[in-house]
Amino acid sequence: MSLRRLRTLLQREVRATLRDPFTVAVLIAVPLAALLSFSFVLSTEVVSLRLGVLDASASSASRRLVAELAAGGAFEPRRFANREALEQALVGGEISAGLVIPPDFERALQGRAPGGDAPQLQVLYDGAESVLAGNAEAFLQGIATASGAQLVRGGIPAGGVRASVHALFNPDLDGTPFMVAGTFGFVLSFLTTLITAVAVVNERLGGTFDQLQLTPATNLEILLGKLLPLGAMFALDVVLMMVVAGLLLGVWPHGSALFFVGVSSFYVLTSLALGLFFSATSATAAEAVQKTVLASVPLVQLSGFAFPIRNMPLPVQWLAELIPATHYIRVSRAIYLRGAGPLELWFELLLLLGFGVLLVGVSLRALSRRT
Amino acid sequence: MSGRQRLGFVGSVLALAWRERSVMRHDPAFVGVVVAQPVMMLLLLGFALSNEPANVPWAVVDRSQTALSRQLVRDVGATGYFLAPRSLHGSAEGRELLARGEVLALLVIPEDFARSARRGDSEIQVLLDGADPLSAARIGGIVRSVATQFDATRRSLPARAGPGAGAFEIRARFWFNPTLEDRNFFLATLAGMLLTNLCLSVTALGLVGERESGTYEQTLSLPVGPLEIVLGKLLPYVGVSYGVLAIAVLGAGFGFGIWPRGSWLALLALTLPFVLASLAIGVLVSALARSSAQAVFISVFFILPSMILSGVLLPYRLMPDGVREIGAILPLRWYQIGLRRIVSRGGGFEEVWLPMLALTAQFAVLLLLVRWRMKPRLG
Repeated sequence: MSLRRLRTLLQREVRATLRDPFTVAVLIAVPLAALLSFSFVLSTEVVSLRLGVLDASASSASRRLVAELAAGGAFEPRRFANREALEQALVGGEISAGLVIPPDFERALQGRAPGGDAPQLQVLYDGAESVLAGNAEAFLQGIATASGAQLVRGGIPAGGVRASVHALFNPDLDGTPFMVAGTFGFVLSFLTTLITAVAVVNERLGGTFDQLQLTPATNLEILLGKLLPLGAMFALDVVLMMVVAGLLLGVWPHGSALFFVGVSSFYVLTSLALGLFFSATSATAAEAVQKTVLASVPLVQLSGFAFPIRNMPLPVQWLAELIPATHYIRVSRAIYLRGAGPLELWFELLLLLGFGVLLVGVSLRALSRRT
Repeated sequence: MSGRQRLGFVGSVLALAWRERSVMRHDPAFVGVVVAQPVMMLLLLGFALSNEPANVPWAVVDRSQTALSRQLVRDVGATGYFLAPRSLHGSAEGRELLARGEVLALLVIPEDFARSARRGDSEIQVLLDGADPLSAARIGGIVRSVATQFDATRRSLPARAGPGAGAFEIRARFWFNPTLEDRNFFLATLAGMLLTNLCLSVTALGLVGERESGTYEQTLSLPVGPLEIVLGKLLPYVGVSYGVLAIAVLGAGFGFGIWPRGSWLALLALTLPFVLASLAIGVLVSALARSSAQAVFISVFFILPSMILSGVLLPYRLMPDGVREIGAILPLRWYQIGLRRIVSRGGGFEEVWLPMLALTAQFAVLLLLVRWRMKPRLG
């Protein structure tokens, strides 16, 4: 291994990449677009959910209840005259939930004997949107229980336990930092692999790769000459994303920024090696791309980027642990949200190191087999 | 009459469509998209993915150490969302576990819990790991509702009979999905996800590939107009799209028992403008890209936001203003709205005329853009 040869290869690679304005545009635009579009979409709140109300009671108690539900901004009540209209709206997706207040609601509420049956309200949720329905149910229960207590003057029969709930690290349960930290994993896994795979295959098709192999440069030098400049560019991407997330979205890492950039840069090398592997084993650019895209489906779905791994069946959980992105996203979220340092994360870091060594080794072998 | 007769508009389109069909059959990547992807997505969405909390690791600091406090812990565990709790001695230890991400929730029961609970004036503390906001919100809700329904005096029947504590009883019913499974949410729009992938990436790649290998120029030299070429290319994809729709619907039906509840005819009709609009985007991408690599980049980075912003994986109504409206530009948004109305809620034409209209309008706009960009050009 000669440093001079490596430097020549590095210069060549940087020039080749910068000459192509499309690649440069992709390197800047895609991470930012992913950051901005992903960071907004995860929400735990229920806001202006359309609630159909069939108020058969039409009493002051029922009107107060509906007003309470509308007050927080969580629900937008719309009145319906009969049950058919309400159900029709639910089928058409015009409303997300329907509240049916029975005719004798107020009387039953006022005249309720201690220990007697409580008046009933019926709520129909649109289960087709399961997340929405689950969130809405929790909200509606909470508001209705609170306002119900006020409706009955003189207090309700005591019972139940108050639970004071606090979320650490993220008290408002804001989805943005969670998604920002995950987006690093997405961009650094998918974009890196794709760019490398396409670049190398195109070079092989163009014949320039064979020329490289005719030079005195060894395979390891060629590999490093490819990986290091791309890795440096993606390390810049990491910094760019951190700054944009901080300035635009107000999300800065709780942990050490330097540590985060270090871990991310190492992880970039891992996914670049995967890209090299895909390109070394493909005959055409289209095939390399197809492999990358097929590999990206489990990347997005199984890595915990959008869906918690915990919720998956056990065999799928094992599968998820075999994906390097799973571990990187875990580390990235731990640093960003919980302010974790190397001591807490040593096991995950060790795994990432293992994946890195393995993938670089495998792609090196695949590359030398082609010569 | 000369020996060679000029084909009419329809004849040219059909001839080109036949040529395109033969090309498709020999493309292994295409077979991969049509066969491998549906199977993979069906398995993932049907078995693996869920927003419903499961296997939640949690810890309890029980300072009360009474039968009543143990009963509360058992009640929380009985909801089925949790693993066996870890018993801790101090809340400092619990906070450390939360910080390491080893538990997602910490329940702290105060010393005087049993006494105050019998008085009906007790409070427990729940600490959640906000680093995972969606799970934390759900778990907070679950614990809170168990606590509210907890009957310290054990006079009435166990909690299932409904909250005895509230002023009134709320009977909740989940329509279209009584057990509130996420599987139904995902699989209802499986066809939308698959068709987006197919129509965009395959069309864009195919067209650019032909330009690169020079066969596009050959087609241009035929006595046909640009619109005929585009339509002739797209027609076979419409056929394949209906095949993929069939795979998605039958797979969800036979595999998971999720059959469309509404009108099949409306489903078929709704799919046409969506497929046409998606194909038009593919053509547009191919017109913008200079190489197949560029076509892939552009189409992949159109597909990903489509999946996220359209509402196929996350409910679009929870997205903030502005982001929600941006998503309305995507054909997949309207298709998934229509799919849910037909597949999950049992609607028909009456319910989906608006999404159909929106998709048709999108197709019309895209067609104009394609006509403007796809000037027959050489080189």
